[in-house]
Amino acid sequence: MIKIALPAGELRRPLSQLLSRVGLEVPGYGDGSRSYRLALGDRAQVRVFRERDIPVQIALGQYHVGICGAVWVEEFLARHPRQEVVKLGALPLAGPTLFLMAAPSTAQTVADLSRLAEPCIVSEFPYLAEALALALRLPRYRIIPVWGGAEVYPPEDADLALALASHEQEVERMGLVPLLAVLEGPPVAIAHRQAMKALDMSWLLSALASLGLSAVSGMRLPPSLAGLGLRARPPAREREVLRVALPDGHQQPHVLGALAEAGLSFPGYAEGERRPLGPRDGIEAKVIRPQDMPQMVALGAFDVAFTGRDCFLEHIYRFPSSPVAVAMDLGKGAFNMSAVVSVDLPAETMEEAVAFWQREGRPLIRIASEFVAIADHYARRRHLWRYRVIPTAGASEGFVPEDADLLIEGTETGRTLAENRLKAIDVLFRSTTCVVVGRHPPGGRRGELLRWFLDALRPVAVAGSATI
Amino acid sequence: MFLSRVCSPMEEPLRCPGMHDLLPEEMERFRQIEEVFCHTCRQWGYQEVRTPTIEHLFLFTAAGTLSAQMLGRVYSFLDWDGWSGERVVLRPDSTIPVARLYIEHMGEAPLAKLFYVQNVFRFTEGEREEWQCGVELLGDTQPLGDVELVLLGREVLSRLGLGPLGVRLSHPGLVRAVLGRTGLSAGEQLRLYDAILEGEQEALAQLRERVPDLAPAVDLMLGEEGQGSNYVRNLRSAFAKALPEISRPLDELEALAETLEALGLMPMVTGAMVRNFEYYTGPVFQLLVGDVVVGGGGRYDALVEVLCGRQVPASGFALYMGRLLPLVTRPPVAAPTVWVEAADGSAATVAVAFQTASILREKGMPAQVALTRGVSRGEPRLVVGPQGMMAFRAGASAGHQVGSVEEALTVLSGGSEG
Repeated sequence: MIKIALPAGELRRPLSQLLSRVGLEVPGYGDGSRSYRLALGDRAQVRVFRERDIPVQIALGQYHVGICGAVWVEEFLARHPRQEVVKLGALPLAGPTLFLMAAPSTAQTVADLSRLAEPCIVSEFPYLAEALALALRLPRYRIIPVWGGAEVYPPEDADLALALASHEQEVERMGLVPLLAVLEGPPVAIAHRQAMKALDMSWLLSALASLGLSAVSGMRLPPSLAGLGLRARPPAREREVLRVALPDGHQQPHVLGALAEAGLSFPGYAEGERRPLGPRDGIEAKVIRPQDMPQMVALGAFDVAFTGRDCFLEHIYRFPSSPVAVAMDLGKGAFNMSAVVSVDLPAETMEEAVAFWQREGRPLIRIASEFVAIADHYARRRHLWRYRVIPTAGASEGFVPEDADLLIEGTETGRTLAENRLKAIDVLFRSTTCVVVGRHPPGGRRGELLRWFLDALRPVAVAGSATI
Repeated sequence: MFLSRVCSPMEEPLRCPGMHDLLPEEMERFRQIEEVFCHTCRQWGYQEVRTPTIEHLFLFTAAGTLSAQMLGRVYSFLDWDGWSGERVVLRPDSTIPVARLYIEHMGEAPLAKLFYVQNVFRFTEGEREEWQCGVELLGDTQPLGDVELVLLGREVLSRLGLGPLGVRLSHPGLVRAVLGRTGLSAGEQLRLYDAILEGEQEALAQLRERVPDLAPAVDLMLGEEGQGSNYVRNLRSAFAKALPEISRPLDELEALAETLEALGLMPMVTGAMVRNFEYYTGPVFQLLVGDVVVGGGGRYDALVEVLCGRQVPASGFALYMGRLLPLVTRPPVAAPTVWVEAADGSAATVAVAFQTASILREKGMPAQVALTRGVSRGEPRLVVGPQGMMAFRAGASAGHQVGSVEEALTVLSGGSEG
């Protein structure tokens, strides 16, 4: 049976309407059913993924046809150019554009980039950013991959952002200059190359073709900035201001609670401001994704950050020498990072699961996780020998058992696990909201402010939780 | 063993794609090439260096180093302390790391003559790890330096007993001059150039269409090759008026070709030869054994300046181990190994066996203790035990009782017994 991967998120409704027009109606898809497993009559299985996971699933051959934003396909192919992904065409739906953007003080045109000794590019699409840097022949550059909100980084924390926006005006509304439209991003249909060669998918491909698929425009690469030699790095700027990174998403309520208990107010934070005010003079704040905080502290962009222990460990397992540490644990937002398998697996422990897979002669263990470094660390520590970590962008529960054998996943009450016929067989660690700081504390005025800030938080923290 | 059933060599290789094991017989030929290369380089006054396997990616990304196509095939990654966002790379090329080494350690020296034997890593359909015997000459040596490099490379090949030897010359300035007239972007020019090198006639046709007034030059310079300085002079006479940018490259090529001709060599000359390396600025050459290109290199006068801002002309070449290995015959086997066998498994007898093997080696006879039964396969044997020593010549089934290691040596050196 043909297996189709469709995107979650904002694309669900318009895509569902479009597919219905050519007889590809997937019950439950357009109305946002919580189920990840759907069907297209008895002709195809449909699974709903986060967009960025779809090219991975098609390349692995676990799904035969998929639809997702062009930018995710190009990002995947920039990293794995020889993967088994065939681009069938772009769907007649509007999509965002990928822009290279800068603060007005940094650059007004692409040519201005030649003034920068070592541009730092922040992006959710690090491999496209890399391709762009290589095409420009930037002699030296840094790329900071982030989970989202790249546009909030320039100019303080990056020179450039490579991020999606609807149009140039939207970039300008962010206070940035759109230097280059790199990629038009309508949803595209892709297929697994081997499935195209061997499997009769003609009814599906004809239906998609009848939508009027257009050629997929690749990345629009600029000409090189000729004649740039290597230049010495500019000296690091010493700043007086203490910079605090506050999280959005599921960590935000926990951090708001802790700050309130500590008597620290960041006006605008609760209202969704990206740049809330600080609790006193000399302290400024920015709201970024919790996953990106440890790296930004390591880079010296922030002095203090609030993030989950899961995000901290993901960073430190990936970069053991990174100069970041947990200053204190706030004990909030607790959940277990667990090893999760199907309820049908006859195993209650990891050892039993491994023994079962051994008996079955599995070629390798497929581990799906949003936390690639944590999953990798766990697999090494438990000597799983041959394994493959499949990176996911979330919603991992739907991966087992068809697309993965094991999940490394945050579990709170166990209800979601039960709903998806899953069970936890091991707990890696308990994750709570932590305060992360640099290993080398600043001196001067900034050092004083840091001590004041941490002292205010200390009564709220779990005693003895610091790692430095 | 866990998962062993599906990982047997019959079903799926355990090595990574594009990676190659060098087996004992292959390693003997590898070492032979390496030893001849190193010995020859030392005799010519070159000194050996070795650079790290991992380098900063930024060394290779600036314009004037590697082409964008090549950069798209390097093994780059964020290493364990890559939290700063800066990537590192498994060296895809050795010239750039050696130039870096020169800048960091020898920058004051007016002349550095360096050689190395090391591997490079590139993502390709075939072999992804390639061993190279390379030479770099840093300092103002033109035009003598280019001549020396060609002769040094040929001498290595000659000492390896290879032939017939050939040299092919080119100059990146020729193809850059033509492509510069097309109005294409740098990336498009490079793609077209690569297609021409792949022998795609369509690419040549496309180029002719773009520069119709230069069509004869395109055909001759990029599609054909000619002999030595005569060909260079003809190209200049025919095309330099319409394409003056080729005059300087042709002058440099002529100087090199004339000197090689005076040395009795007849180099071939072509306009299209080197790919993926942007750093070449002057004459480039290939070394051939028959029709097989076994090495190549050229002049890269701007590279050091790109890396450190200081002008240091340079040139170099590398011999490709993967191409040479099939051409080189196995070196003659040295004296056969003597197998020393312990007559029983007692600690005292085993100790005597190891001591005896050690004495034999000290006396210049390769010797090893037989760790398992029946491994000697007709080679000379010396059985030691409480009853003394019994020496068996190669192929002999009957032994000679001997009273000392010296006596055993005399017997075992006596050749084989029918």
